[in-house]
Amino acid sequence: MKTLRSTTSPDWRSALRLLPWGLSALFVGYGFVAGGYPATVIGFALVYAVFVTGLNLFMGYTNQVSFGQNAFAAVGGYMSAVLTTTYQWPVVPAMGAGVAAAVLLALVIGYPTLRLKGHYLAMGTLAIGLITYEIAVEWQSVTQGYLGISGIPPLGVGSYEVTSDRGQLALLVAIVLASTFISARIRDSRMGRAFLALGASENGAMALGVDVARTKLLAFLVSAAFAALAGCLFVHVVGYVSPEVFGLHMVILGFTMLYVGGVGSVAGPLVGALIVSLMPEVFRGFKDYQDLAYGAALIVILIYAPRGLASLFDRAKARPRSADL
Amino acid sequence: MSNTLKMAALGLALGVVASGPALAQEPYKIGISAGLTGYAATVDRAWRDGVELAVAAVNAKGGVAGRKLEVIVEDNRSEPQEAVTVYRKMLTSDKVNIFISGCVSAGNFAAAGLVVRAQVPMVLCSILPQQPDQVKWAYTTLPPAGFEVTKRLEYLKEKTDVKKIGVLHDPTPYANLQKAAAEKSAADYGIEVVGVEQYKQDDADLSVQIAKMKAAGAKAILKIGLGGTTLTAAKNIKQLGGDLLMLTSLEDIAVFKPVAEVLGDKFLFVASPSQVYEGLPAGPLKSEIGKFLEPWKAKFQDRDPNWASRGWDGVMLTVAAIEKAKSIEGPAVRDALETLSGFQGTTGVYDMSATVHQGLTKNPFFIATISDGKVKVVQ
Repeated sequence: MKTLRSTTSPDWRSALRLLPWGLSALFVGYGFVAGGYPATVIGFALVYAVFVTGLNLFMGYTNQVSFGQNAFAAVGGYMSAVLTTTYQWPVVPAMGAGVAAAVLLALVIGYPTLRLKGHYLAMGTLAIGLITYEIAVEWQSVTQGYLGISGIPPLGVGSYEVTSDRGQLALLVAIVLASTFISARIRDSRMGRAFLALGASENGAMALGVDVARTKLLAFLVSAAFAALAGCLFVHVVGYVSPEVFGLHMVILGFTMLYVGGVGSVAGPLVGALIVSLMPEVFRGFKDYQDLAYGAALIVILIYAPRGLASLFDRAKARPRSADL
Repeated sequence: MSNTLKMAALGLALGVVASGPALAQEPYKIGISAGLTGYAATVDRAWRDGVELAVAAVNAKGGVAGRKLEVIVEDNRSEPQEAVTVYRKMLTSDKVNIFISGCVSAGNFAAAGLVVRAQVPMVLCSILPQQPDQVKWAYTTLPPAGFEVTKRLEYLKEKTDVKKIGVLHDPTPYANLQKAAAEKSAADYGIEVVGVEQYKQDDADLSVQIAKMKAAGAKAILKIGLGGTTLTAAKNIKQLGGDLLMLTSLEDIAVFKPVAEVLGDKFLFVASPSQVYEGLPAGPLKSEIGKFLEPWKAKFQDRDPNWASRGWDGVMLTVAAIEKAKSIEGPAVRDALETLSGFQGTTGVYDMSATVHQGLTKNPFFIATISDGKVKVVQ
């Protein structure tokens, strides 16, 4: 009789699956204890974790390509920055408006753009990011161009503002956990199954009754909301925004984090964001060779964990033994 | 008894030797957040080299307040986010006493809030942050943007018949400030701005913008911005023909030499005192530049000294403030920086005050041209 037997016992399997979360908790815990510089690095990593969680929904689950997520981060970030500094809105409603504006923009541009496929979709979304960047530079009466907007209030509710390193870190951890939970719930939902079916084969999904265009657009909107939230978080954590923050650099970093962490996995975005943010700091002592060491480390990771670091811990999944087949 | 005394003396001597390092003063740490890579690399590497040269000169004379100076440089990659990270590193891990940071304005603005909270003063290469509470802790060696513009307008008024000009600028904050200054002051010199055109730093052709301004009647173009676009503009002007003058903002002389080959005497530029050292009359300015240029030329030969000379000034202003404050504490040094007046630097005289943190209040610039490969002052 052919049986499926695990190479690892069930207890170890569960433990291994928890390892990415444990390691992430370790890194974040270190940020809490150390404060200061490590807290800043971990804080940025957590902001990016939200951004990459959205990217993962669109790229990992539905297997579509978007090089334009920075556009939604920019819309969210700038909207929140302008509303809080120019119009003295409280932070939370301003962030809500930022996310809503980005989702609306995603709806307007997603409808025609998502008819594209493959390389054409990649080029189309790249153009969206570049156009948004140029608008941020040129619309100086609102964005102040390269001068940027400073004096953006920190995160907080009402008169309570979170200004300490550890306070901001705690808040960001809560937001990342909520984002990850939402991402996991989406994956296990009817909508998530449609995303995954679409990711496996558009024709196959269509044959199963999935409305491909609608599902693609939905994934795009949800990922835009995550990107906008990350943009809002960034401007309120740093207290300053300028166009460079949302440039092509953000897209490249997001992609790197997604692939290093593990595209399509729930833990991947967090693991990737933490590792990719921490690596340059670990190699900072190398001075002029910092980029060389960082690049080499990335290559090693992608050679030995081509599906991302989080996938290493999925090896405990049930796997058939040749002897049993 | 005698042996006991000897042992006691030996013990005391050993104790003094052992405690020697502990008694030595901690160095005074200068942090530099610089764009060693990215778009600001040319300028910020020169700024860093100027700071390091000044620190070596100060240390050779015994340091300041009994302490040696130590420089900690971190690359912000010309990115605001990276700047926040490196500022935070230098604040909490390296515990720097002051920042003498480079020209990435966005990076300095992004980190200004946390630097102010740590009560660490900043002497910058860039423009000052926009928030009043941040300006309180920030000083700059950068001359006001209007100086580069008015010097060119002055030249056009006094030495030419040009009455109509075009302004060609990039979108950086300093270039925008210069553009605004040109629009505001041109009329004071009897000159009309007939066109204002913007370009991007990586544009490979500016003929559309130049042709537009030429068609509007411009007889000279004020080019504002750094990099290879100056040569691009020169080539486009030549292609379009006519006798359009081009007057560019401050830049590395190495960038200007090929431009001069294209436009000849139709090309003029704003020069800082250190770039025209040979042509300066004897005096405190020449003497101060000489102190900087001697080690600079010994180490870097013919490399342009402009940005580095301001980095040198940043260190010398800091040293003067520490000596005046008789303290190395952040608030004391900040307060002392504010009282430095009549301080002779390599770019001019700094007159700081509670309301003026951009200390160069007298226009230090010259208008120069390049003739036979040599820089020549024309005004």
